[in-house]
Amino acid sequence: MLFKKLIRTIGRYKAQFISMIIMVALGVGIFLGFNIEWKTLEVNVAKAFEDTGFADYRIVNELGFSEEDLQKVASIDGVDAASRFLSVNVPRKDDEDIVMLTVSENIAVSGFKVLEGTAYDPEDTEGLWISERYAKQNGLSVGDTYTMVYKNIEFSGPIRGLVKSGEYMICLVEKAQMMPDHEKNGFVYVSPAYIKAKIGMTFYPQIHVRSSLPKETMIERAEAALGKSYMIVDKELVTSYSEAHGEMTEGKTMAALLPVIFLAIAILTMITTMHRISISEKTQIGTLKSLGFKDRRILRHYAAYGLFISLCGTILGVAVGLGVGYFFVNPNSVMGDYLDMEHWELHMPLWSIAVVIAINVVLVLATLYSVASMMKGTAAEALQPYAPKAMRRMWIEKKKVWKNLSFATKWNVRDILRHKSRSFMTLFGIVSCMLILIASFGINDTLNSYIDDFFENSICYKTKIVLDTETAGDADVEALIDRYEADWTSSMGIQIGENTYAMEIYGLEHDYFRFVKNHGEHIDLPDDGVLICERIAKKEGLKVGDTFTVSVYGTTEKYELKVADIAKSIAESVMMSDTYAEKLGVQYRVTELFTNETEIEESPIISSTQTKQALLDTFKSFSELMNVMIVMLVFISVLLGIVVLYNLGIMSYAERYRELATLKVVGFKDRHISRILIDQNLWMTILGVLLGIPAGIGVLKILLVMLASDYELTLTISWLTYVIATALTFGVSFIVGVMVSRKNKNIDMVEALKVAE
Amino acid sequence: MKIVEISHVSRIYKVGDHEQKALDDVSLELENGKTIVILGPSGAGKSTLLNMLGGLDSPTSGTIKIKGKDISTLNADQLAEYRASGVGFIFQAYNLIPTLTVLENVALVKEIAKDPLSSHDMLREVGLGEHMYKFPVELSGGEQQRVSIARALTKNPDILLCDEPTGALDTETGVMVLKLLQSMAREHGKTTIIVTHNQNIAKMADVVVHVKNGKIKEVINNDKPLAVEEVEW
Repeated sequence: MLFKKLIRTIGRYKAQFISMIIMVALGVGIFLGFNIEWKTLEVNVAKAFEDTGFADYRIVNELGFSEEDLQKVASIDGVDAASRFLSVNVPRKDDEDIVMLTVSENIAVSGFKVLEGTAYDPEDTEGLWISERYAKQNGLSVGDTYTMVYKNIEFSGPIRGLVKSGEYMICLVEKAQMMPDHEKNGFVYVSPAYIKAKIGMTFYPQIHVRSSLPKETMIERAEAALGKSYMIVDKELVTSYSEAHGEMTEGKTMAALLPVIFLAIAILTMITTMHRISISEKTQIGTLKSLGFKDRRILRHYAAYGLFISLCGTILGVAVGLGVGYFFVNPNSVMGDYLDMEHWELHMPLWSIAVVIAINVVLVLATLYSVASMMKGTAAEALQPYAPKAMRRMWIEKKKVWKNLSFATKWNVRDILRHKSRSFMTLFGIVSCMLILIASFGINDTLNSYIDDFFENSICYKTKIVLDTETAGDADVEALIDRYEADWTSSMGIQIGENTYAMEIYGLEHDYFRFVKNHGEHIDLPDDGVLICERIAKKEGLKVGDTFTVSVYGTTEKYELKVADIAKSIAESVMMSDTYAEKLGVQYRVTELFTNETEIEESPIISSTQTKQALLDTFKSFSELMNVMIVMLVFISVLLGIVVLYNLGIMSYAERYRELATLKVVGFKDRHISRILIDQNLWMTILGVLLGIPAGIGVLKILLVMLASDYELTLTISWLTYVIATALTFGVSFIVGVMVSRKNKNIDMVEALKVAE
Repeated sequence: MKIVEISHVSRIYKVGDHEQKALDDVSLELENGKTIVILGPSGAGKSTLLNMLGGLDSPTSGTIKIKGKDISTLNADQLAEYRASGVGFIFQAYNLIPTLTVLENVALVKEIAKDPLSSHDMLREVGLGEHMYKFPVELSGGEQQRVSIARALTKNPDILLCDEPTGALDTETGVMVLKLLQSMAREHGKTTIIVTHNQNIAKMADVVVHVKNGKIKEVINNDKPLAVEEVEW
């Protein structure tokens, strides 16, 4: 019989039950979705690296390693496998595409996995194994012929297989590139035999190592084995590894931040609503008690309400979570564009299941607590209707201004203060909605400002020419600089203490490259000091005027540098003028030219060219990734706002039904009563917006520190963001206010006033 | 002068497929300034009749004219205007707004009534001058009903409609409330219509209307209505 009561009570409070189920579903869904995102990446990225023998260390020597060197490294105690490795950016013949021509002597290290075609053959002198993603984008299939040109030599051959490689999981051909362009860039593996057949020799500037040794030990043992110090890069500094793990870290951060808001709202809404329902059910609880039902039996009955809501919410939430997870990480998503890997099966951390179970338990306990508080005392006491707290005069009522307020204002003020938990929840819902909107749009503003700083204010060239440092002699480079009226840069690896950074020396006569501080403010490159990026300043504890020592990789050279200013930079780098470099006697070779010319002739000393536009295009994809996230967050926050406010609005309406009926009876028109209800909503919204703005800025600050400390982002929020976020929040509040107040028309004055007080 | 003219009014409620006639072809005319008591057992249709007169409900058929104006065809807004100035309600359960003080409960009708009276004066008249700033919950039942009377009169309506005004009160308090109601109605020249099942209240009425099964059984004109204190309670 009580089951029938359960069903009918659910029907009676259907609006509250539905909104609680939606809130639980959203809370659980967002929580699971965000955790599925990073866990899916964690499992699948690890698998991709494992499948293709991703190297733990890379020993670099621009002059190349001999077979003997390889043997020395391979025989180090603790090294599982090693391979000499070559990767050069090579243009496709008669095309602007740039692919990374790659040879790994031991394909078990930094190799690939064949998805289609024939297996790798180290003796194959003709065939190519090409990146599957690039091939699909360019309509290339197994058996087609593909041709590249490097140093005027054609590298051509039939495609043997379409492959994926952990080494190129994030396939970027340029350091300033933020998103891969699978249509223009890819990678091509060939065998050592192929290279030998084409150019009659092999050249390997890297040895890739699979080893679980710690970095210090690895450096120590490699130095001992090779008898010389080489730059050893561990996988943490390799883009594919660091960025893929960066995505996981970002996912974990987001999962620890946003879902907490949703879960808190779900739990608080549930507690508030169940408490209100328990109040409405008080006389029924008393009736059951007086009929002889034991407290335990009654509690069990009411626990079923909580369980019903939490179970329905959880089941829906799991579906939402899988949807959210899939939305973020699937091969066709923006993440799928970023990470080129084979597997995208969704995975969920096991502990998240425990959290979801715990949420269910909390929700049921919250229900039980509310019901238990209504059952206190004897059956006769339980039968008494719930007595709300008596009204007391507030301090403000003693003020003169109070007397001049309309009754509606007084009524609303007292209602807000009388129902503190309901008012708090309403405020919490609005603040959360505003907070998420400000933070979401703020991310977009901050990124746009970043793009403006670097691409509008910093990069003033039209084309960048990457030189082949092996073949480009000083005279050739000078000739190119003159011909294209170019500025230039030289990049080299340096160490400050134990940390590895880049040092860039600039020769800027045409200001094709400029240095910027926050919000695009220009800084000149001084001749008596260096600029360092914000991250180096922070990591090394350097400030303007300090001096520090750098040692150049692969040499014994050390230089004492003075910090002239701190600039923004994409890479972690120290920036120096050519004049200062010459003063210090720094040896360098020009690596890149910047020019306003767009027509660059092919040359054996030019490795590749890249236009500013091509770079900007890659940012578009990056922006898309952010936009997807923003659209989703905006949708969720609006939905959250509507559900929370509607639920509380309905509750408030139900509680004030008798008072509203009285107003109607004494002659207030429906629209007047609606205005009173909407007014209260608007006040709460104004307060929520005012609190939500600083809260949103605070969350955005945390997000930028936690998610994007690699990008030197400056928190930027445009006035449009404030306007849109405020308008959306007010819109939500107004729509819900109208939805609730429309119910006034259905107030049955006669029935409402019949009920005994 | 006739203030109320009810002509062939029926009110049918639909409960599922079943139709229930709460009022069945009722016609009645009432004079201005009189005290009218509508008597009848539970379910007789007396409250339905009162609700029709108060503009809380509309007849299924027939017409109700108040001061010559047909209120049975008014829309929701027009009915609200009628309730705002034409009638004052006094309920068994007082129906005060718990979050407004006594004064605010009374004064709130001034925002909608066309020609309201002073709420302060009215509260003093009903003997609540010292309780104006209290909340309803701080008052006794009788005091709350007095607030309700003050609120009804502040609108300065033509008609006072009272639905079992003493139903929730003990006899002594009930008598006090009725006394106040009678004196205030006379002083302000209001037509007072009281719905009750208490036969004794009928003794203070100018007109007694007996209702049963949705029909008016009898209308008795009482030439010598008693003062409240003369009635044996």
